[in-house]
Amino acid sequence: MEIKKYKKVSSTNVLAKKAPNKPWLIVLAEEQTAGYGRKKDYWFSPKGGLYFSIILPKSNIEDLQTLTLLAAFAIAETIKENLRIKPFIKLPNDVYINNKKVAGILTENVVGKDVKFSVMGIGLNTNISKFPKKLEGSATSLQLESKKKINNKKILVEIVKKIKKQLEIISV
Amino acid sequence: MKLNLNIGNKKYDIELNKTSGGSINIKVDGEEFLFQETKKEKKELSLAKTSLPKRNFSEKEIKAPISGIISEIFAKEGDVVKQGEKVALLSAMKMENEIISDFDGKIKTALIKQEQTVKEGELLFLLD
Repeated sequence: MEIKKYKKVSSTNVLAKKAPNKPWLIVLAEEQTAGYGRKKDYWFSPKGGLYFSIILPKSNIEDLQTLTLLAAFAIAETIKENLRIKPFIKLPNDVYINNKKVAGILTENVVGKDVKFSVMGIGLNTNISKFPKKLEGSATSLQLESKKKINNKKILVEIVKKIKKQLEIISV
Repeated sequence: MKLNLNIGNKKYDIELNKTSGGSINIKVDGEEFLFQETKKEKKELSLAKTSLPKRNFSEKEIKAPISGIISEIFAKEGDVVKQGEKVALLSAMKMENEIISDFDGKIKTALIKQEQTVKEGELLFLLD
């Protein structure tokens, strides 16, 4: 697994969009200054969390949509297997624990007659011990929920492996 | 062709006939079943159709690749766009799709407005 690691970036998706179109290349950052979700919604990304983008292989757009949904399952399964806490998937693809959001996924595509480029960005609140007041009621982290220190690298590798497997299954 | 089969303790009278249309008619104890031979070729064709829906792209037209909402428009009527230039942003489920032009040309007609819901295959722009 090839991982390009950065200390601090604006957003891993922004960086990945400028990176070579190399399938399964991971852009990982310790911190994002302008992490975002859909409609450019701000994603709180302090040090401790897991923020990465996966450059996806050229696929048809329907498969990418399915894969975006399946990514939530991959994240939820990884959380369950590692921490024995039960996440909840709020369809289409938000991952919650105890009614608070713990992970966000945003797939961005460049599309002409076919898909030219795809990147899937994932923000997972792992080792975050405190959220700003306005997010306290709606966001949580794996550390807060499990009272354990999370191994970001291990979680990253497991999620990517699961997503890769799902794409192999759906794109016949 | 007539057959008598014993399955377990039960006896079955089976009659096989080929119809004029090429179908196979199997009669089991008076009940008829009609079977049509499926050509392998045909099967593959229908599979391909399932995984790759028809998009109807034709020259100088930019269409929605997937159903969603137009969240941003980057080109207006009269604008000259180059191949690969982004013309709109289409949000679908949790995907943001940057729609690019596949050819150089001038936007003759822009058929979309911001926040408009579009269906897969819907025409977004017409180019000269």
